[in-house]
Amino acid sequence: MSSSAPSSATKTSDPEPGSAAEPSWEEPDRPTGAAPTSGWTTLGVATGSAVAVGVLAVALGAATGWATLAGLVAVVADSLILLCYGGAAVRAGRAQLRERAAAELDAQASHNQLQKLIDNTAAVIYMKRIDNGRYLLVNREWERLFKVDRAQVIDMTDQGVFPKELADQLRENDLWTAEQGRTVQFEETAQTDRGPRTYVSVKFPVFDSSAEPYAVCGISTDITEWKQAEAEARRLAAELETRVRNRTAELEASNKELDAFAYTVSHDLRAPLRSLHGFSQALQDDYTDRLDDTGREYLRRLQANVARMGHMIDDLLNLSRSTRVELGRRDVDLGAIADEIAEELAAVDPQRQVTVVVREGLHAHADPQLLRLLLQNLIGNAWKFTGRNTEPVVEVGRCERDDQTFFVVRDNGAGFDMRYADKLFTAFQRLHPAAEFEGTGIGLAIVARIVHRHGGRVFAEAAPDQGASFYFSLEGHMTEQPAQVAQPALVA
Amino acid sequence: MTTSPSTEVQNPSATPSDGTILLVEDSPDDVLLTQRALRKNNICNRVIVATDGEQAIDYLLPREGKPLVPELILLDINLPKVNGLDVLRAIRSNESTRYVSVVVLTTSNEERDIVSSYNLGANSYVRKPVEFDNFLEAVRILGLYWLLVNQNAAIIRAPVE
Repeated sequence: MSSSAPSSATKTSDPEPGSAAEPSWEEPDRPTGAAPTSGWTTLGVATGSAVAVGVLAVALGAATGWATLAGLVAVVADSLILLCYGGAAVRAGRAQLRERAAAELDAQASHNQLQKLIDNTAAVIYMKRIDNGRYLLVNREWERLFKVDRAQVIDMTDQGVFPKELADQLRENDLWTAEQGRTVQFEETAQTDRGPRTYVSVKFPVFDSSAEPYAVCGISTDITEWKQAEAEARRLAAELETRVRNRTAELEASNKELDAFAYTVSHDLRAPLRSLHGFSQALQDDYTDRLDDTGREYLRRLQANVARMGHMIDDLLNLSRSTRVELGRRDVDLGAIADEIAEELAAVDPQRQVTVVVREGLHAHADPQLLRLLLQNLIGNAWKFTGRNTEPVVEVGRCERDDQTFFVVRDNGAGFDMRYADKLFTAFQRLHPAAEFEGTGIGLAIVARIVHRHGGRVFAEAAPDQGASFYFSLEGHMTEQPAQVAQPALVA
Repeated sequence: MTTSPSTEVQNPSATPSDGTILLVEDSPDDVLLTQRALRKNNICNRVIVATDGEQAIDYLLPREGKPLVPELILLDINLPKVNGLDVLRAIRSNESTRYVSVVVLTTSNEERDIVSSYNLGANSYVRKPVEFDNFLEAVRILGLYWLLVNQNAAIIRAPVE
């Protein structure tokens, strides 16, 4: 039997040792202390009376000279006194016997009641002497489980019932309980017909009239099923944890791979492009007199393509970065960022006259770097697609849609056919020929990914030559979502 | 323009701080283009090329002979043998080179490279643009600032703490 060591036993209740709330089983070997004190008093009184009568008779006889008569009277009086006493004593004795018989009957009845009570519970109940470990009482469940009759067990200890190791453990727990002088709880395991069963045993000492513990009573409840369920729950939790850990490791590994890939792309793919661009430039600079117009045009195309590929690599890196970087939210002045981006665009493209309207009070709780990347793409797009408009206007603002607040980047540019809107946020999908509007086809995929990482929504409304509006939110139930293709929720 | 980088093969020993630029770059193409960009910007300072990190350390911290004390080091990060960050660490942990201006000139704009470079004491971090025009402009500004505007501490022979 494995059992929690006494040191790990837990106190439950019963703060008062030796209180009157002890079980009412009479301890053995206790002297029955109801002595007939009243009988002795009566005898004393009777004897005293008889002696007094005798002394009185002697005195009277001496005084009167009728000694014989006085002696006779004394004898008769004493006889009467003793006769009365005898009668009273016999009556008292009879009454006492009757009382005792009634008390014994009562005790027996009460004992039977208690025995019935403990016999009809699913718990295992027992009481053992502290000095020699012998059983004083067991209930029916105990008899049933351990196949020992209560008549036999009275002369037995745990050594006679259980294997030695278990018996030692039980004895140790009993002695610990006696030593503690209070209720102690143990977990004990015993072998039964149904295999090993685990019990939670509540044990308490039973005290004699001098407040000394002479027995330990125990109530053991079978908690095997509960323990099994607990073990099962623990096993499932551990399994789940392992699975989560594995999954996290997998994710980390693939994140690392992505990271390594991005790093390689960043370093190794850009380097040859730089050489291509640099040497074609050198050709153009140093050998321009040996090339005709067509040759120079080819060189220009070569450079344009190299530059384009450079932008694509940068955009791909941004796309991967917007997935990889840790999201660091803080309060961001979205309007200020929009203003900065508009200034940058104007500086790069000074011949364009674009009216950029940024509404007041645009604040968000978002990652500032990712938000900048998002706005760079949306405002950059608006800037680009208003290229053929004579009065281009780009507006950055806020609006309500479906009871939700969205930021919006709106332009009056080329727009697009809503039939193709589902392709909008997928990488490398373009709705305009490159000759018309250059681009890598990655920008909106970056936008969607950033919005999704913030747990927000993004969608667009547009019509050909009627401009386009891109709506996005940066808050939602999911604060962090892994890379996923955005689903544009289309509002007609 | 020459067809191969004009690397100086011998150990460039005993060079006082005379405006020498040490270019640490493993790609011959990039060496040529950088030299071209310097020339195009009329930066005529002597350029010594180390094609890997080990060579750069040999020049700067030779086991024997006098060390090279350049005015400016243009340092790539991805280098064979000893990478650029380790070269930077060696430069900054050595008395004779700890004050030399080091500009990290590399392809990467990965945050970790930028952070590591500054942590190890880089003076500047410049990402090489793909377009040569932009690269020319970057080199022009670098030369102007680090060789003319900036007051270099490399000439201090006994650095004070």
